[in-house]
Amino acid sequence: MIFLRRQVPLFITLITGLVFAAQYYVPHPSSELLLTSATKWLQIIGGFALVLGVTSLFHLHAVKIRRKEVGWGYSVVLYAGMLGTITVGLIAGGKESGADGVSTAFGWVYNFMMVPLQGTMFAILAFFIASAAYRSFRARSREAAVLLIAAVIVMMGRVPLGEYLIPLSGDVSQWILNVLNASVRRAILIGVSLGAVALSLKIIFGIERSYLGGGKE
Amino acid sequence: MDESILGAWVATGLTLFILSFLYRDNPLFKLAEHLYVGVSVGYTIVKAYDTVLVHLILKPIFEQGEIALLIPVAIGSLMLTRYAPKASWLSRYAFAFIVGVGSGLAIPRVISSYILKQIEDTVRPLMMLVPGEGLTFTWNVLNPASGLNTIIILLGVSSVLFYFFFSVEHTGPGKAVARTGILFLMIAFGAAFGYTVMARMSLLIGRLTDLIEFSNPSYGRPTVWLLLLTVGTLVYLNGRAQGTPPDK
Amino acid sequence: MAFAERMLKIDRRIIFLVIGLCTLLPLLYPVGLPIKISPEVRSVYDYIDKLPEGSVFLLSLDFDPASKPELHPQAIALLRHAFRKNLRVIAMTLWVSGTGMADQLVTQVAKETGKEKGKDYVFLGWSPGGSAVIINMGQDLYTSFPSDYNGKPTKGQPVLDGVQSLKDVSYAISLAAGNPGVEAWYVFGKDKYKFELGGGCTGVIAPGLYPLLRSGQINGLIGGLRGAAEYESLIGQKGRAVAGMDAQSVTHVAIVVLVVLCNIFYFSIRQQGRQQGQVR
Repeated sequence: MIFLRRQVPLFITLITGLVFAAQYYVPHPSSELLLTSATKWLQIIGGFALVLGVTSLFHLHAVKIRRKEVGWGYSVVLYAGMLGTITVGLIAGGKESGADGVSTAFGWVYNFMMVPLQGTMFAILAFFIASAAYRSFRARSREAAVLLIAAVIVMMGRVPLGEYLIPLSGDVSQWILNVLNASVRRAILIGVSLGAVALSLKIIFGIERSYLGGGKE
Repeated sequence: MDESILGAWVATGLTLFILSFLYRDNPLFKLAEHLYVGVSVGYTIVKAYDTVLVHLILKPIFEQGEIALLIPVAIGSLMLTRYAPKASWLSRYAFAFIVGVGSGLAIPRVISSYILKQIEDTVRPLMMLVPGEGLTFTWNVLNPASGLNTIIILLGVSSVLFYFFFSVEHTGPGKAVARTGILFLMIAFGAAFGYTVMARMSLLIGRLTDLIEFSNPSYGRPTVWLLLLTVGTLVYLNGRAQGTPPDK
Repeated sequence: MAFAERMLKIDRRIIFLVIGLCTLLPLLYPVGLPIKISPEVRSVYDYIDKLPEGSVFLLSLDFDPASKPELHPQAIALLRHAFRKNLRVIAMTLWVSGTGMADQLVTQVAKETGKEKGKDYVFLGWSPGGSAVIINMGQDLYTSFPSDYNGKPTKGQPVLDGVQSLKDVSYAISLAAGNPGVEAWYVFGKDKYKFELGGGCTGVIAPGLYPLLRSGQINGLIGGLRGAAEYESLIGQKGRAVAGMDAQSVTHVAIVVLVVLCNIFYFSIRQQGRQQGQVR
């Protein structure tokens, strides 16, 4: 049983990992066909993965309603929103507008509920970043002072008023972004990529097994 | 036209309910927050059903006879066993396949794109051979491809990579290199902060532009009326909270 | 408590109010300062401007409603430019929650410029898998998207005439709010299938894309609302991005003032602390 539970999955990872890593270097038509099929399969499996994330949310709020925990009314609102959207969505065949361009009920829910809700949730971050900047952006050390000065130059250089008040800020911020920032990000990109490649190799060769999860050994 | 007027009122109301969080956490915000999660999840489920189930699975299998697609359907279904405690070990096969293929696809592509190509651009020639002028070294600070900037980029990349290499102690000349790396890092983080501020402010500008649009009389001025409603509700809730005696 | 200490401990709701006013007032009373065009935005514009009529232009709208204020104006400006140049436009998205928004904006700009669905443009919609979709499109477009967003089969549509995969695309731009986005389009797309790639992105991820810009892996970058405003100025059709620049200017100056004030108060407290330490 251990063989089926532990060894076979690791074997699958090893074979698929090696095959698709090698595929990149093999231009033969059957290799290309293999890639096309595999990525098509991944699209379908990706759809199932979406469902997976949603199930845990269902469960969490269902428990809250059943046990009548504090704030269970809001869980009802969540369920109502979810089921209402699914209902109008299935009626509209998953489309926000019909063939004639007229918006469906599903399109209405998307445009006048989802877009404003998601947009505003992220828009309030503007206030928090201002408050955080005021309270904690202090030049406590030389490094912090450098960070602060760079931030001020870039903030001024990227807006028309800033370029008007401090004419050099536009060019200096361009130089900071294209030269200094680019070099740092490049170093981080190279470093992170080396780490990612190392981790992928560890996963393929079965040294790293945490991705398996699910069930006892 | 009526749906768009109703829509304007609903959109404005929900926007203001979420903005009310800036004053304090309150039932209006919680209502909007839970509605947001519910609607988002509902939308994802509808799209997953329409795109994946209908157009990627059912139509190709039944209308075009692509029976081979039953294999990924089987693998995807195995993934769903993760929530059944007795059968959850079956989900390992699905994850093993996904992770194996994903890692295999990523390794050569990441090496080519992020490591080789990036290093190639870092070690560019410092001098150019210009016909008629011979070897020239360009000093233009504003041109990121000039010789001077190529040296600065090389310095930046190497010092930052060295700073993150913790297997070697940063003493002596290593300390100077690491300090240079930190300096470059601080400037980059400053630039990142500046851009993050820009991004967040843009999001707020977008929402306020919509609110201003919905304050138009053609929609019935929902912004004005719903603002009064929201402020009134907050004042009432504040009064109620102050009126309640503190717990002993 | 000294004035500086009281100012540092000020109720944050006052700061919220200041930011709110700094954003609202310029939107109600705009001024319209000139916008300087950056080289990275100009590269994208010049490349599209030089494409011959009938070239295939792929626009991937990889963002959700959270990033709408920054990337929606970029998309509209790019589509207006592409339709003006009579390019064949293939639009799509890799982000599920952005699908409705992407469909609407493509339809809106197409209607405004008199373009016909199926003949001048196609909206493929969304497909799950992110990087898998890109690779699949690179292998065979019709396998990854057998039908377009309205359910019509992609094979046989005049706009896709001669297009078998990403190798037949003249220029691709990904407007990205995260992952999958511009990086994924390069790593899983351009690296093997060799089409020209440009990028548009939110301000948050823009600094991280500069290494790719410098190495030529992407030929241009439109960063945030400022990038959208520059592109709108270049095509000569000002929209929401340019309208938002005044508010952007005032809020940036406000944040700089707040940061400077914070440091003035901090240093004065530190100075007082040192002086008190010397007196004792």
